[in-house]
This record gives sequence, C-alpha cells and structure tokens, in this order.
Amino acid sequence: MNLIAISINHRTAPVEIREAVYLKEDEIRPFISIAKNNQIKEGLILSTCNRTEIFGIPNTDETSHESFQNLLLNFKQSQNITEQHFQKFVSRDAIKHLFSVATGIDSLLVGDNQVFKQVKDSFQISEESNFTGYIMHRIFDATIRTGKRAISETKISDGAVTISYAAVQLTEKIFSNLSKKSALVIGAGETGEIAAKHLSEKGIGSLAVTNRTQEKADKLAQKLNAKVIPFTEFKESIYKFDIIISATASPEIIIRKDDVKNALRKRNNNPMILMDIAVPRDIDPETKKIDYVFYHDLDSLNIIVEQNLSKRKSEIPKVEKIIEEELDNFWEWYNSLQAAPAIKDLRDFFEDIRNEEVEKNKNKFSSEDQGKLDIVTKRIINKILHHPTIELRKADETSASVEASTKIGIIRDLFGINSNKKSEKE
Amino acid sequence: MISAIHTINILLPIFYFVTLVVYFYDFIKGEKKLVNVKRVFLFITLFLHLIYIVLRTIAFDHPPITNVFEIFTILAITISFSYFLVELVSDIRGTGPFIIILSLIFQLISSLFIQDLTEVKDVLRSNLLGTHVISALLGYSGFTISAVYGFLYLVLYKDIKLNKFGLIFNRLPNLEVLERLSLYSAIIGFIALTIAIIIGVIWLPVAFPKFSYFDPKLIGSTLVWLLYAIGITSKVLGNWRGKRLVILSITGFVLAILSTILSNFIAQSFHSFY
Repeated sequence: MNLIAISINHRTAPVEIREAVYLKEDEIRPFISIAKNNQIKEGLILSTCNRTEIFGIPNTDETSHESFQNLLLNFKQSQNITEQHFQKFVSRDAIKHLFSVATGIDSLLVGDNQVFKQVKDSFQISEESNFTGYIMHRIFDATIRTGKRAISETKISDGAVTISYAAVQLTEKIFSNLSKKSALVIGAGETGEIAAKHLSEKGIGSLAVTNRTQEKADKLAQKLNAKVIPFTEFKESIYKFDIIISATASPEIIIRKDDVKNALRKRNNNPMILMDIAVPRDIDPETKKIDYVFYHDLDSLNIIVEQNLSKRKSEIPKVEKIIEEELDNFWEWYNSLQAAPAIKDLRDFFEDIRNEEVEKNKNKFSSEDQGKLDIVTKRIINKILHHPTIELRKADETSASVEASTKIGIIRDLFGINSNKKSEKE
Repeated sequence: MISAIHTINILLPIFYFVTLVVYFYDFIKGEKKLVNVKRVFLFITLFLHLIYIVLRTIAFDHPPITNVFEIFTILAITISFSYFLVELVSDIRGTGPFIIILSLIFQLISSLFIQDLTEVKDVLRSNLLGTHVISALLGYSGFTISAVYGFLYLVLYKDIKLNKFGLIFNRLPNLEVLERLSLYSAIIGFIALTIAIIIGVIWLPVAFPKFSYFDPKLIGSTLVWLLYAIGITSKVLGNWRGKRLVILSITGFVLAILSTILSNFIAQSFHSFY
C-alpha cells in the first residue's frame, strides 16, 4: 500500500516549530487543493497545537516523503525546520500511527480525547474537499472504530488529567448534583476561563465571574452565559456560592480565613468548596481547617492529575492490542483487493449461482439437453465476466495500485463478495 | 427438612463470605464487567437465605424471631436485602462490601449458636408480637445501614480534606449522596422503630404480667428513638448537617446494639426469652 505519512509532533519538534507549521482550518482547504495538484490523490491533514500530520496516497510511485515535506514547507514558508523534525511512515506503519494518534496514546497528555475529535474533523474536511477516495474512506472507518473501542474497552481516557478538570472532578465527589449549585470564578484569565467552561459543561446551576478588569469578566460571562460581579464587591457575596474557583494573578491573598468563616456562618454551615488554582495563592490555605470547607490548591489537584496520568499510562498496552487487532482486520481487507484473488472470487460467485440454478431446473430438460444447458449457461457467465476480468487485470498491471484496489473494492462491495464474509463461511 | 436446614445454616455464612469477596474484589479493581456478576452472587445468597427462613418457619412452627440468634439471621437478610434494593434503585456502587460484611457477621454468629427450637412459649406465637419484632428489626437494620453510610461519609470527608485520593475517594459515591443515604435509612429505621414501640407499649402489658416500664430493652430503645428523633428533626429544620448528623447516626447505632446485647445477655427481664 502506498500510503505515506509525515508527522511533526511534540516528540520531534519544540513548540516554536510546531507553531510554525500549524495549519488552521481555513489553511487546510487550500493546502489540500495544492496537494491534489501535486499528485496526491487522497489523504488527510491533521493539525493541532501538538502535531501537524499529512497522510496521503500519491498517484505515482515517484512521490515520496520528501515531496510531502516540501509541500508543507513551501506552504508555510518556515525556516529552521530540518529533516529531523519529521517522523516518516509508510503503508501499514502509517495506518498504525494514525490509530495511535486517534486513540490518544501518542498524545502529550496520554488518552487525550480531544485529539479523537480533531481526527474526525480532519476526515470531514478531507471529505468536503473531495480528498477522500474508496481506500481513505475505509481507513477513516477503521480509525473511528479503533478510537471508539479504545474509549469503551479501556480506561485510557478515564479521570481528569488537567488541573481545571481535576478541580471539577473533585467537586463531583462532594456535591451530587451540580445543577443545584452555584459557582463563582475569580479571574478571567485562561485558567479561570477553562475552569468556568468545565463547570458550565457539567451543568452548573448558576455561574458568576469576577475579575479586576471588568471588561474581561464581561467578555467571559457573555461567552458562558454567566453573571458578572464587580471585583470590589465580590467578597460580600461569597457566601452565596457553593463553589469558588480562584485563578487570579494577584500577588497577595484575596480571600482570608475570616472571610470564609463569615460566609459559612451566613450559609448555615452549608459546605463550600474553594479551589485555589492561582500561583501565588489567592485563598488563605488555613481555610482548610474550617469544618465543611473543602479547600484545595494546585498541589492537591496535582496529586489527582498525576494519579490519573499513571493510570492511563498503564492502559496503553491494552490500547496497543486493540490497535493491532484493528490493523490486522484492515490489512486482511486490503489484501483482498489484489486482482488475482478478486477475479477468482468473482468467478466463483457467478459459478455458484449458475450451478445452483442448473441443479434446481435441470429436471425440466430432457437428458440430452441437460449437457447443453450446462454449456450454454457457462458461456453466458463467461461472456458477462469477460470484460470485467480484462479490466481488472489491466488496472492491476498499468495504473497505480490505488485505482486497481478501488475498482476491486467496489466490485467486492457490489456483489457482496468480501473476503471477511467468505472466511466466516469457511 | 431438618437436615436441609442444617446444611443451609452452614452454607449461608460461606455464601455471604463469597459474595463479600466478590464485592471487595470489585471495589479494588473497579472493572465494568463485574457489576452484574456481583449482583448475581448477592441475589443467590439472598434467595438461599429466604428459603432457609421459610424452611425454619415451617419445620419449627414459628418464624425465627424468638431469640437473639434467630433474630440475627433475620437482621442479616434484611440488611443485605435493603442494600440490594438501594443498589438497584440508586445505581450506587462501591458501598456494598461495607454493608455485606455486617450481614456476614450477624449470620455467622447466628449460624454458630442457633438451635432447633420447636418449643416456644405460646405468647411468642402471637401475630402482634410478629409485627412488633419485625418492625423493630426493620428499624435496627435501617439504623445499621444508616451508620455504615455515616461511617463512609466520615472516611471520605477526611480523605478529601487531607488530600488522600485513594480507593475510597475513587470508588465511593459523593459526600452528599452518602449523607442522604444515611439520612433516608435513618428515617425508615425511625418510622419502623416507632411502630415497634407503639405496639410494644400497648400490647406488652397485656401479654406479660411481669411487664415493667423499667425494662432495660425498653429504656434502651426509647433512648435510641429519642436520639434519632432529635437528629432527624434538626436535619429537617436545617440546623444540623453532614458530619454532626452522621456522628449522631453512628452513636445511635452503637447504642442500639449495646441495648440489645445488654438486655439479652446480662439483664434478666421479660424481654429475654431463654
């Protein structure tokens, strides 16, 4: 199989290089057009902040990894990128790599399920750009199946592996129903925003944001349909919130132990969760000594993250097993696309039908006509199959293998003579 | 039939033990596959236990509620059965081993000391007594389950506060759920015990000439009842919550067990029957 793949990823290149070759969605489409003009018949372009990957099936045998690399480097005009920054794959290894990426075992954060969605989106773009053919479609199906199996059959994506997600996971160990709870996010920076997003995804009952710069708070609140509390007044209202996540850049502590004590009194000792994910800290760590106050900072959340990461890592062998299985399945199918066995299967298929009908009906003919019946029906089958047989042989000999494979694949699909079905019968 | 009863009597603690092992294994491993397997084990155990109780009732011509070892076997089945229902209804896993171990303990004590009692006093064959004892038992199993969930609440509460994110943290349901389960089982137990006390106070003086309001079991049960009454009222009024409530529930449970043991083994009163 002449599937070629190149990859620049977190293992091969530093972040500046990865950023330099990153392709935004509106860049991928023009890039695909250029690729199509440069002898790449079908393929897939995947680009995230951690990796940029090009998978492609070229029209000719002359197209190589270097052509792929040049295509990318010409498009992004990047310098400082050398040969070493690329990982190269071909044929079965390329598919294996794609499976590894989709299942998240190749990710910086092992089991990251974001990448599975990105792979699916990339396939979508290829499809919309007429960059997927028969073979690429099959690769797509196999990739999705592998990704889904990894998620459902292993714990590769279980547990929180980011601080803000760990904070939410911890919250769920204290409260049973977030839709009845209210949360306040202090600080509208990136960390605060992610935490607020997670809470909103988990269906938090009400969400409020406060930030020293009011504009930023307004912006985030609008995005997440949250309320805004002026920064100067938020301390008076902390008693209204069950969950407080603080992620400001403030150099000193902004919520003191007494603030929390007062708030708790006003709340009639209703439990409060305080997540301090700021460096340096925003909330007095002494608050953890108060009953019904669950105070957690970066250190304690990091314990959860580390635990989950090592659990995920221990799941990698299981995922690799799934990848091997799916790879074998795919390969078995792909091998059935060779011309000679396909022609034989096709002829056997027709011969079986002919034979069955002759056996069923031959008593309707006199004994001397039965011989003729056999000859005539065989001749019909031969005539029907003559042209397809010639075409398949010709495609196999002259054009690139993808074309032949595609033709064979379609014939197998049309007549239902897939190799898998055949082996099941056997 | 008697030999069948004896065989099941030996088998029951073994079955509870095996079920406990399966639940405990699942607690440690957390495999999705085991969820249904462990339920099957518990179901078979409960079914066998039910057969045992029916056989005993027929063979000895009275329900097994006339002495403490007969009562323990009933306690074992009601505790596990209540948990079985909780698991089916609430989809809450991970708390099973802590409940089933209590059933195992009660059943083990019962299996070791229970006798083939065919002669029981006539007064113990009354239907009212049946209702009195069964509601008292329901009350006590409610308190037992409430105490277990209360205990788990405290352990998880501590673990979260001290940043210990181990098995307890990963497997147990969240604090609010544990608190609610503890409260609901306490309420059910409280209602059942109320019924038991009402029947007792009305019927006992009629049935027992020796009846005394200073009977240790009566005093003990009333104390337990008062304790839960205070706890549940404070919760409903919104004054108490979480830690304080579960400590109360555990205290109530310990008091209930103490009162049963004391009045059955130490004090000689009309309330102990052998």
